[in-house]
Amino acid sequence: MKRELYDILCCPVCKGDLELVVKEENDVEILTGSLICHACSVTYPIEEGIPNLLPQNI
Amino acid sequence: MQRSQTSFHADPNQVYQPAEDSFLLLKTAKSEVKPSDRVLEIGVGSGYVSSGLLSSCQLLVATDKNPHAATIAYASGVPVVRTNLAAGLRGPFDLILFNPPYLPTDPSERIDDWLELALDGGPSGRDVIIRFLQEIPSLLSSEGRVLLLISSLTGPEEVEDLVRKNGFVSTPVAEERVEGGEILLILRLTRC
Repeated sequence: MKRELYDILCCPVCKGDLELVVKEENDVEILTGSLICHACSVTYPIEEGIPNLLPQNI
Repeated sequence: MQRSQTSFHADPNQVYQPAEDSFLLLKTAKSEVKPSDRVLEIGVGSGYVSSGLLSSCQLLVATDKNPHAATIAYASGVPVVRTNLAAGLRGPFDLILFNPPYLPTDPSERIDDWLELALDGGPSGRDVIIRFLQEIPSLLSSEGRVLLLISSLTGPEEVEDLVRKNGFVSTPVAEERVEGGEILLILRLTRC
């Protein structure tokens, strides 16, 4: 995902802000990382460029 | 922009392939989209509609719950988020496109795979449309427009009634008869 996409993402459950943690990034976009909702204590993965904001099994 | 193959093995047989409804939606969206639009497509499938609009708008993002669809659409250059409808997204968007699962499906007909998710609209065909109509008020800009594809099998009058109850007005903007006499219809929704 491109960094500009981060501005329009939110927690799918509480709709709150997410913290972005980047593990792997190229010139164009973020390939691997996490989106963390601190309010819900849930980490959503970014894998192979695609953020996964489906409910996560804790 | 073509992207390289990824390690997740996406199966095209688990993704709804472009058909008459996809063609009609892209054609209609092309005449609706403005260069300044922020566009959201819900249920991107193969990526056919979104990839055809990428160069026509300011920003485009698409969603799909199906990992096979997300991977295939992403590989065709579409910015994709895996989420349920638009649950993980924040607006406002100026143009929202949705070719929903609109076929009436009896629980006994269900086979429970990813492709079915793209087709199964519940017993009335309108289950997913109802959830969609509840989500869009918080996602759409004040002057925003929605293009919603439905079929004569979905109960167009019932859909238009649901649209009104959710605070929108709808105008049919495209219509096409397909095999078997089914009629595809695109409704353009704006706030009342």
